[in-house]
Amino acid sequence: MILSGHGLTIGYSGHVVGRGLDVALATGEVLALLGPNGGGKTTLLKTLLGLLAPQAGEVRLADRPLSAYSSRERARLVAYVPQSHFTTFAFTVETVVLMGRTAHGNLFSRPSGTDRDAASRALDRFGIAHLRERPYTELSGGERQLVLLARALAQEPQFVVLDEPTASLDFGNQGRVMHEILALKASGHGVLFTTHDPNHAMRTADRVYLLRQGERIAEGTVGATLDRPHLEALYGTPVELVTDHTGRTVFLPG
Amino acid sequence: MSINRRTLLAGFSATLLAPRVAHAATVADDGGRTITIPEKIERVFAAGPPASILLYTFAPELSLGWTRRPSPAECAFLGAGACDKPDVGRLTGRGNTTNLEMLLKLKPDLILDVGTINDTYISLANRVQQQTGIPYALLDGRFTAAASTYRKLGELTHRESQADAFAKYADNTIATIKGRIDKVAQNKRPRVYYARGPRGLETGLGGSINIETIEFLGAQNVAGERRGGMATVSIEQVLAWNPDVIITIEPAFAAAVRTDAVWAPIKAVKSGRIYLSPRLPFGWVDFPPSVNRLIGLWWLAKMLYPDQFPEDLQPLTREFYKQFYHLDLTGAQLDRVLSGQS
Amino acid sequence: MARSSVPGMLIALAVLIAALLFAFTVGRYPAGLGDLFQVVAAKLAGRPSGVPAAAIDVMLQIRGPRVLAAVLVGAALAIAGAAFQGLFRNPLVSPDLLGASSGAALGAVLGIYFSLGVFAIEACAFAGGLAAVAAVYLIGSAMRARDPILLLVLTGVVIGSLLGAGVGLVKYVADPYNQLPAMTFWLLGSLAATTASDLVPLVGPVALGALVLVALRWRMNVMSLPDEEARALGVPTGPLRIAIIAAATLVTSASVAAAGIIGWVGLVVPHIARTLVGPDFARLLPAAALLGGGFLLAIDTVARTATATEIPLGVLTALVGTPFFIWLLAGMSKTWS
Repeated sequence: MILSGHGLTIGYSGHVVGRGLDVALATGEVLALLGPNGGGKTTLLKTLLGLLAPQAGEVRLADRPLSAYSSRERARLVAYVPQSHFTTFAFTVETVVLMGRTAHGNLFSRPSGTDRDAASRALDRFGIAHLRERPYTELSGGERQLVLLARALAQEPQFVVLDEPTASLDFGNQGRVMHEILALKASGHGVLFTTHDPNHAMRTADRVYLLRQGERIAEGTVGATLDRPHLEALYGTPVELVTDHTGRTVFLPG
Repeated sequence: MSINRRTLLAGFSATLLAPRVAHAATVADDGGRTITIPEKIERVFAAGPPASILLYTFAPELSLGWTRRPSPAECAFLGAGACDKPDVGRLTGRGNTTNLEMLLKLKPDLILDVGTINDTYISLANRVQQQTGIPYALLDGRFTAAASTYRKLGELTHRESQADAFAKYADNTIATIKGRIDKVAQNKRPRVYYARGPRGLETGLGGSINIETIEFLGAQNVAGERRGGMATVSIEQVLAWNPDVIITIEPAFAAAVRTDAVWAPIKAVKSGRIYLSPRLPFGWVDFPPSVNRLIGLWWLAKMLYPDQFPEDLQPLTREFYKQFYHLDLTGAQLDRVLSGQS
Repeated sequence: MARSSVPGMLIALAVLIAALLFAFTVGRYPAGLGDLFQVVAAKLAGRPSGVPAAAIDVMLQIRGPRVLAAVLVGAALAIAGAAFQGLFRNPLVSPDLLGASSGAALGAVLGIYFSLGVFAIEACAFAGGLAAVAAVYLIGSAMRARDPILLLVLTGVVIGSLLGAGVGLVKYVADPYNQLPAMTFWLLGSLAATTASDLVPLVGPVALGALVLVALRWRMNVMSLPDEEARALGVPTGPLRIAIIAAATLVTSASVAAAGIIGWVGLVVPHIARTLVGPDFARLLPAAALLGGGFLLAIDTVARTATATEIPLGVLTALVGTPFFIWLLAGMSKTWS
């Protein structure tokens, strides 16, 4: 299944952020949207999610225009993992994950046995089943991110879209989340995430899409596209490359 | 001994002003304030509804206008030309609607206020008088003070003999009625519930101005244990009180209560002693709380003590309306008034 | 399930039952619970009860409708408050946020000013509440904003303020001896005049609105998330927001029309319910309904019994609600972030 954007002009009312953007994501692969802050990554992500209407162009999901889907139908195919945040009310972790099952019921339905099973599986999958009765607001940043991942998985989607998944996490948890992204790919999901850190893209993505000030600088496989010239063009600053003896590379700000 | 220019000027202007001031009189109002009134009183501003009515009854030609102009239905029950006077707003009581500059433009010779005498109103009177330079007289608005209020008004307007007629009416009415009631044994005096509001659940507490005349007539206000102004009660409480008589000023309530199952157990309803107060042009029992209640006193007395008051209300009403409202009532008007319709 | 909500629900139910018993036992008229049981038992056995007719009257015609009205209004305000707290993602929100109470107040005082009949006044209040919120919603959604919720709140505050000024104006020009006291009494809130026929215009809208809110309670959890997140989870936030606002406004307007302005119930009761059963709306709404009904019933019983004259409901709920709310604020950090 393919989630794609064609000739997209994206932005908010009266304010265009990017024009003529084409992007595609298939199930079973990981695509990273890379670029400096304010460059339009989140706007593009939200447009692909259907949360923001494109000002021109079209988003297509599984050969149908995204606009033709109701939010319920769309939610069964695409799951959104926002940056972890505070919620107003102290719902339990289980309640939060169960919210992922919303699209599988109708407007008035209560969670069914199937829903609860899916939620349990998601919790187990991320190793946070022991947190199910804890109030979401009492968890650490890393734990909350995992809960949101579990919620997305409970939706049983084809695609998982994450917005800056490691942004507010400590070092240890960053690794954990990256590991989970790779696991999602292994289980056949299509994963799209935004990041400003090229190293995360390098470690978890198959393909990258470089976006600077609403313009696509480059797009392609990680190997072909994540190199110094492209990154310097993307960030407008010198970039250093460090390679170890096994050939793995890391980028550092210059 | 230096006579400078200023003292000269002061003396000169004093002399100029002197003739007017010298012939004016000083009167003590009911607030214990001594005010100086001019020789001729031709324009009087009534500061609130009770003053408005008092002034209209006594000397309509002196009035500059109404604090709240009567509706056309009410105007039909006042003398000719009563409603030609404009609406000039009120100066005290629950909210000012008169602009002080407009007041000055009207050039009254006297400001008349009738109502409660307490520090608030006394200080208000002093303040307005100081700001405008117009003498402000504060008179007692209590029902029992009606006669003395008329006499004071006569003094203020240099019409003592005219005032005497009104004061005598008030005195006689009160004395006659009170005299007969005093002879009634305590246990024969009725227990009264005064019903206001669309559901009849607003009432006057002990000593409130709303039930002043009812309590004056020796009736027992069922809500009178507590003193105060107005309050709401529950129907359950009225049932517990079980009054002998219900006095109301709401025609809709008076009609509905006779057939309302919830009110049925009450003594007053069972015996049919539900009395709707006349209200044209001004209420006979409650508002505005002014001399309009004098004729109401006869009506109340008759309703509360039918044995002691066999008088026919019709000639009494005609007499009152002629003297106080400057109107000869037709038969149809008389019926309409006594029926309590609005 | 470590923290079951069953004990909390039972407490809420117990509060309601206790309030019901209390309400029928006390009153200004000497009739009590014993009389009620006697009457019911006698009716079932088909024989006269021996209880004086006036006492039966008091129980069935006077206390009965009033008790029912108090429970309905209390439950309605509590549910509406909880729903709004979820919708506006703020636990400090009350049902009058969008101006329903101010609109109803303006409708009522205008009705009194034009000397309309009792039912007409109530109808004006009801219509005023609905119209105010409709206006707020239309104005708020005509403007485009990143945060539609915040815009609604601000519009509600502004319109509510304007309507309040309107009420002030009507009170100013009203006849001070007749109309103004009636307006004042109405605005302070009272169930004193409730009769059986008053229940009809109350039950309908409250039942309808409450039904909608309770049916949507599972989705309310999701609605308390940021708008984009809720949409991404598959909830049509726009239409659902309208439905929740409409239902909450329906119950609020009907309540205000019947009982005047009663504050604090919609704000404080959801909090207490939350401490009893947790923030999950699936359990919160029923608990809030039970608790709200019991709470207002208890207050109304005090209002009609403590003194010979009625204590306005709005005054009592403020007296009880304010210190309680301060106490809540002090321990606030535990219940939410």
